[in-house]
Amino acid sequence: MSALPAQTRPLRSRAEPDRPGRRAGTAAPAEPRLRPAPERALGRARPRLVYAIIAVGSIGVIALAQLLLSIAMTQGAYELDGYRVREAQLARDEAKLAEDLDGLESPQYLAMNAEALGMVPNSAPVYLRLSDGAVLGQPTAAAGGTAASAPLVPNSLIDGVPPVTEQEAAQTPSGGQGAARGDQPAAAPVVTPPAPAEGLPTPATH
Amino acid sequence: MNRVSRHPMRRILMAGILLVAFVGVFVVRLVDIQVVRASELNEAAQQVRSETRTVYGARGEILDANGTVLADSVMRYDIALSPKQAMSGPLIREEPDPSDPSKTLVVEVPREQLLAELGAVIGRAPADLQKLIDDSLAADPDSDFAYAAKLVDTAAYEQVKELGIPWVVPYEHPGRRYPNGAVAGNLIGFTGDDGDAFAGLELSEDACLAAEDGEMSYLHSLKDWVAIPGSEIVHSEARDGGDLQLTIDADLQWDVQRIAAAQVQATGAQWATVTVMEAKTGRLLAVADVPTVDPNDPVAIDADDRGSRSFTAPFEPGSTLKALTAASVIDAGKADPSSQVVADYRYLPPNGADVNDSFFHGPTRYTLTGVIVDSSNTGMSMFGERLTDRERYEDLLDFGLGNVTEVGFPSEASGDLHGDPDDWDNQTKYATMFGQGLTTTALQVASAYQAIANGGVRMPVTLVDGCRAPDGTMTEEASTEGRRVISEQAADQTSQMLERVYLDGWLAEKWEIPGYRVAAKTGTAQVPDGQGGYQSGYLVSVSGFAPADDPEFVVSVSIMDPVKMNSSAASAPVFQQVMSQVLKKYRTVPSGAAAPELPATW
Repeated sequence: MSALPAQTRPLRSRAEPDRPGRRAGTAAPAEPRLRPAPERALGRARPRLVYAIIAVGSIGVIALAQLLLSIAMTQGAYELDGYRVREAQLARDEAKLAEDLDGLESPQYLAMNAEALGMVPNSAPVYLRLSDGAVLGQPTAAAGGTAASAPLVPNSLIDGVPPVTEQEAAQTPSGGQGAARGDQPAAAPVVTPPAPAEGLPTPATH
Repeated sequence: MNRVSRHPMRRILMAGILLVAFVGVFVVRLVDIQVVRASELNEAAQQVRSETRTVYGARGEILDANGTVLADSVMRYDIALSPKQAMSGPLIREEPDPSDPSKTLVVEVPREQLLAELGAVIGRAPADLQKLIDDSLAADPDSDFAYAAKLVDTAAYEQVKELGIPWVVPYEHPGRRYPNGAVAGNLIGFTGDDGDAFAGLELSEDACLAAEDGEMSYLHSLKDWVAIPGSEIVHSEARDGGDLQLTIDADLQWDVQRIAAAQVQATGAQWATVTVMEAKTGRLLAVADVPTVDPNDPVAIDADDRGSRSFTAPFEPGSTLKALTAASVIDAGKADPSSQVVADYRYLPPNGADVNDSFFHGPTRYTLTGVIVDSSNTGMSMFGERLTDRERYEDLLDFGLGNVTEVGFPSEASGDLHGDPDDWDNQTKYATMFGQGLTTTALQVASAYQAIANGGVRMPVTLVDGCRAPDGTMTEEASTEGRRVISEQAADQTSQMLERVYLDGWLAEKWEIPGYRVAAKTGTAQVPDGQGGYQSGYLVSVSGFAPADDPEFVVSVSIMDPVKMNSSAASAPVFQQVMSQVLKKYRTVPSGAAAPELPATW
């Protein structure tokens, strides 16, 4: 008769009789007892706290960084707005000056100034041929007394703009010297820069 | 202890249910806001925080051949006020304390003073502005918007802003400025208040010049109205208009206008036109009309004068067309400059017409040259009848008469060749030989002379070189293909005959330009009055080209009814001055040899 090896553990009821009397003084029986896994000791709790602190801390850092960037961007927005306002103001100034300039560049203004200075148009050209110095054509003096051209070809952009001869001396860049060439203007002495001691400065090239 | 162990699931279940209930409330609220009412809430938020702005596209510039700007886009401002707010009460303002400039006083400024300040800046009387407010409120008691001034310039706009009146709001309004005033004003035309083109190239080339406005919106902060970066949304892109490149030279245009206007004043004429065209290419260098509109101020002259009579006013050209008839006759081989006729003061051809000359003379032995030099209608009729009417008519069509030119100007006239030649009555058959009985515009006459000057090849009349898009590509470029009208030999011989007119005609001293060979023909024509008869005044014209040995420029002058000098002598000085200026400006080399001698009589 072959004896099969035991396939199952022996029953508990046989190993551990459930009687109060037996429980109190139970010595360690030979069969293994299941019991709950021992709890981790307190010393091992610290690593978990560190992880929590790191996680929460980095969230805080990210939020802080976002806040700082947002503040910086808002600051930039205000600066940008200030520049845009300035740009619009400068564009308007440029528009005003360009409009003035256009009127002054028109041929009507040039003709008005020329006539105010006493010039007349001359439509009889005379050519000087440079190769041999020959003069082609008859030099004739321009016939004066042509009518003022301003009312003939009007330009309402220069209505009310006086010709150069009537503008005040302070407004022209040369201080009115064009109109009064007789007296030598004793203006402030012109300061010339000192002559360079060793010739003109040149860049050192290799 | 048993109770604890018996009901833990129930407590847990209860807590779970409560938790789910709370979360459910929040979820419902969340779904309500984010899904159900999302769009209307977004709308409302956008309304409060976002600002829509129009991005204006700039209308294209009009440039002359050298790049001088003839028409420009500028920003103007409309000043609007709110009548309702204006009447709501005085304005509280901080003004510097008169007694202590470093401190400010809070002052109540009454409406009358505000209107006076505003009126001083925009140029309206305060009573006017008050009337505007009252009228708006009478029409609509809740009226919040009325224009106080339109299209004021930048300086006035800044002053209005400085006044700081809260119920006055300026709006941007793109406008147009013409820096050179009346120079080429007849060609450029002008625009109205709303940017609509009314005349000239502004109207006919609007497709090239017009711009499209775009729209963009951005979010702004609530209090400071500062734009939030990155929040711009472009709803539609703005597109600038293309620049229009003309063939006109602005300086020459000014000079020609000045010369023509001076002569109109001196002779008391009604109007005048002068055309300067390049002979080899058909490009128009100057087209002057007197009077000319200043596009900055179109209302300053009559409505009739605001266009360009060079293109729109047809007239009977008169004797200047004799050159075309002679050219046709020579081209057909039926005559040459020394062909001979005997012409009397009066010619009665067999079909019953009656042709007279403008000056009395007995029977004269004219060559074709002499007929042209003396401008004899009878002689011309004798040469012209060597061709059939159909042949002459076809040649006139080839020269460009009877059809609008290639420019495509608004309201351009095509002239009238009196219908089909088979329908010409007997007088018209002969009248068309010397430029009566048919009408042309000044441009058509210049173009016909250009064909003669260019060796018989007519080039298309060109005013616009092309349209330059903002990215630099040229579109709508003008055609440069010519068409042969008469043979080169016919053109040369006609040109030589015209040189004799210039040298031997009765105006030889008035239009002398030393150093150059010039070919020219005068004409004195009657102008139809539109009711079947003729007006009393004449239209005197001169057309010619120079230098005749290698023509470069064609000049055509027409003066209407110069009462103080009712003959071609009125237009000769204009021709002389304009042609001299053109030759000088373009540094044309003076002619070498003299004109060939052709006999006028035999």
